[in-house]
Amino acid sequence: MIITPHNNSNLYKTLVEFGYAEYGSALEMLAASKKAQSAKMKLRYRNHALDEYRHSALIFQVLNNELKKNKSFFEKEFKFTPQNVVSKGYVDKNGFLIEKLSLKKFVEFVYSSEFLAKQSFEVLIKRIKNSESLEILNEIAQDEEKHAHGALEQHADFSTSKLNEIMNEEDRHWGFAKIFYNKKFPDSNLNFAFKKEKIKNKMRLFYFKNLIFLNKIFNPIINFFIRIFGYIAMLLKPTSNDDKDLMKMNSTSIL
Amino acid sequence: MFLGISAYFHDSSVALIDSNGDLIDFKKEEYLSRVKGDKSFPRLALTEIIKNHNLSDKNINKICFYEKPLKAWLTILKYSIKNNSLSNELTRNYFKNIWKSSVIFSYDLSKHLKISNDKILYCDHHLSHTLSGAYYNSKLPAVSIVIDGFGDESTSSIHHLTSLQEIKHKWSSPFPNSVGLFYSAITDFLGFSVNEGEYKVMGLAAYGEPIFYQSLSKTIYFKDGKLHLDDNYYDFMRSITRSYSSKLSSLFNINERQSNTPLDLESPDFKAYANIAASAQKIVEEILKEIFLFANKITGENRFIFSGGVAMNSVAINKLSKLDFISKLIVSPSPGDSGAAIGAAYYGFLQFNKNYFEPLKADIPSMLTPGHTSLTDHNEDFFLINYEKIANEDEIIDVASDLIIQNEIIATCYKNIETGPRALGHRSMICNAHSVIAVKQLNEQIKKRSKFRPVAPAILERNAKKYFLLSDKIYDSYFYMGAVVEVVNSKSIEAVVHNDNTSRIQLCREDNILGKILKKLELNNIFVLANTSFNISSDPMVYSKEDAYLGIERMNIKYLLTENGIYTKKLIKS
Repeated sequence: MIITPHNNSNLYKTLVEFGYAEYGSALEMLAASKKAQSAKMKLRYRNHALDEYRHSALIFQVLNNELKKNKSFFEKEFKFTPQNVVSKGYVDKNGFLIEKLSLKKFVEFVYSSEFLAKQSFEVLIKRIKNSESLEILNEIAQDEEKHAHGALEQHADFSTSKLNEIMNEEDRHWGFAKIFYNKKFPDSNLNFAFKKEKIKNKMRLFYFKNLIFLNKIFNPIINFFIRIFGYIAMLLKPTSNDDKDLMKMNSTSIL
Repeated sequence: MFLGISAYFHDSSVALIDSNGDLIDFKKEEYLSRVKGDKSFPRLALTEIIKNHNLSDKNINKICFYEKPLKAWLTILKYSIKNNSLSNELTRNYFKNIWKSSVIFSYDLSKHLKISNDKILYCDHHLSHTLSGAYYNSKLPAVSIVIDGFGDESTSSIHHLTSLQEIKHKWSSPFPNSVGLFYSAITDFLGFSVNEGEYKVMGLAAYGEPIFYQSLSKTIYFKDGKLHLDDNYYDFMRSITRSYSSKLSSLFNINERQSNTPLDLESPDFKAYANIAASAQKIVEEILKEIFLFANKITGENRFIFSGGVAMNSVAINKLSKLDFISKLIVSPSPGDSGAAIGAAYYGFLQFNKNYFEPLKADIPSMLTPGHTSLTDHNEDFFLINYEKIANEDEIIDVASDLIIQNEIIATCYKNIETGPRALGHRSMICNAHSVIAVKQLNEQIKKRSKFRPVAPAILERNAKKYFLLSDKIYDSYFYMGAVVEVVNSKSIEAVVHNDNTSRIQLCREDNILGKILKKLELNNIFVLANTSFNISSDPMVYSKEDAYLGIERMNIKYLLTENGIYTKKLIKS
């Protein structure tokens, strides 16, 4: 779901996407918390949701800092609009993952997406070029070894750096998912699920990267349909309400 | 049973009216999806209402959608094809997004509810608004004024109600001549989110002078029974990303505000933007006066029902209530699109019961928080991992009062949620309004609102006249919609008095939760509570106990009041 910023012009957009992805993840975790039966699981998902809400806010804060430092114009698309989490596809309007997937698939997804998010995040922070970021990068570099193992205890001492803090928590999330999965489904292969999700992610990335090219193909087709249906639409005449008793008008008509 | 649904444009919602005509449930989709302003088909709200009331094809008499889907879609499309072009972004957007529009309502509905086709009705959008207001009106005849951004084919309407079975359409204004879209364009210019930041503009207006009124009134005005809007200044009729044109910036001689820069009393351009807000607010008030006067002339009625998004402009409502030709002004608790679901359900009820001509004797207080309180909603074991209970069910009022006296802030998640956007005590954050420090902490540190935003006072009905100037014409509104009133005695309640010496008052009866707390507090000379909604600005209002739990964590609130007791965070021993 994340577009990694391969050049600086993509950086702001990537931060925005990352911010929405974290918010979407918060909503998913909250839904999972509500669905969970045991108090312990509820608490675990709720804590995960709390982290993701905070990450989202922090990422938009980082975006703001970057814009100010680079004296860039604040585009409207950079503004956090909650409904975009649905329109951008970070939450499916047809159901939360916990409603649609089996517990096994749900944990596989959480593990894979958290791990992929962590990887994308590592790329993302390397693109932020300013002294504060360099400091953050240094701190992250020191923590890299610890992160690789994803052990929970190692992350008790959170860095004061915001981005580093997020990084630690992402590690903790996929770490949780992995521990839970291995305990609950010892015969299944989590790596296979992860690779599947990685391929899907690459395909999404391919789609985004080629959007301009795809538009070149599809726009003439859309234009053709607009022309045809536009003329038909102009011929349709909805019933006028003027001076009518509205309670007596056709109540089953959609026009 | 009669279901009403609003969706696809603003906050989606579902309303349920029973065979007696009583509103027994109302849910916004955002309560459950936790996406603020969620406009998707309300699958979660519908599913929960179906489950809680055991609804099926057998006991549902009618299910009514709040607009005529194809009419609404065609109106903008035809306008755009005619005035823009086939390749214009608005035209293309309308075509490409047909599958996200209300045109697919019956398909979406069929995924969640199997119901006979003859039970599905479609109500005109502005008629849904009219009926949502009429539902809270006790007397006819009356005239209904609907003013919003856009609905079906018009942006404003006048309906004459002689009985509930005879509602005549008397006047309307076509797209794009829209007071609602004008105010949204100004909201956009001032760097606030459209459909959400309008109330910020209203609050900001009190700090400015309407110095742009004359020039702005040339861009939108009501004359000879017509609403005119100069489309050279606005872009919402041709663009999906920009609602105003560069000509509007030139008129104000200032650039649009970038929304990532905080706007506060100390900001360098604060006064300039406040002047724009004040000018836009005055334009809205003057146009509303003209439209109301016109409605009075063409119908002869002086009892008014006001609905649509613009009816949430409580400052304008206060001004309207001062007009001589208005004897009564009824505004429903939820006059916007989400409340239109109530109007749609009412339409279904009236279509099924053709013998209902007179308004129902609606018990308004009980209908402010309709719904189904589920005992299983509250998993106390989960809650008690990190929290401890400091008051049982029967100690809530005493303990809450003691905390308020100590200038503490309490969040409430008490029984059912309120119908409208205003929190009335069931999903509130409250504190002692006589304490400037407590109110400041609530407003700025916990709620993180800008200083120019007013905090609303809640007061017992019998004490209100000591502080506020009340109007009989809009008296009911004081109980549920944060109506604006002039303050006659601001001594000791400065923290809840706005810059223009007004307050967004809420009157409380002694039998509701805030009323009970206020009654107890009187003994300690505390007569007013500061009350704001329990949510973070980018989130919808807290709905379930689990949302409340998350909310107090995120906002760092110490106390949570529910119908089961009062809870506080456990102290961690070092």
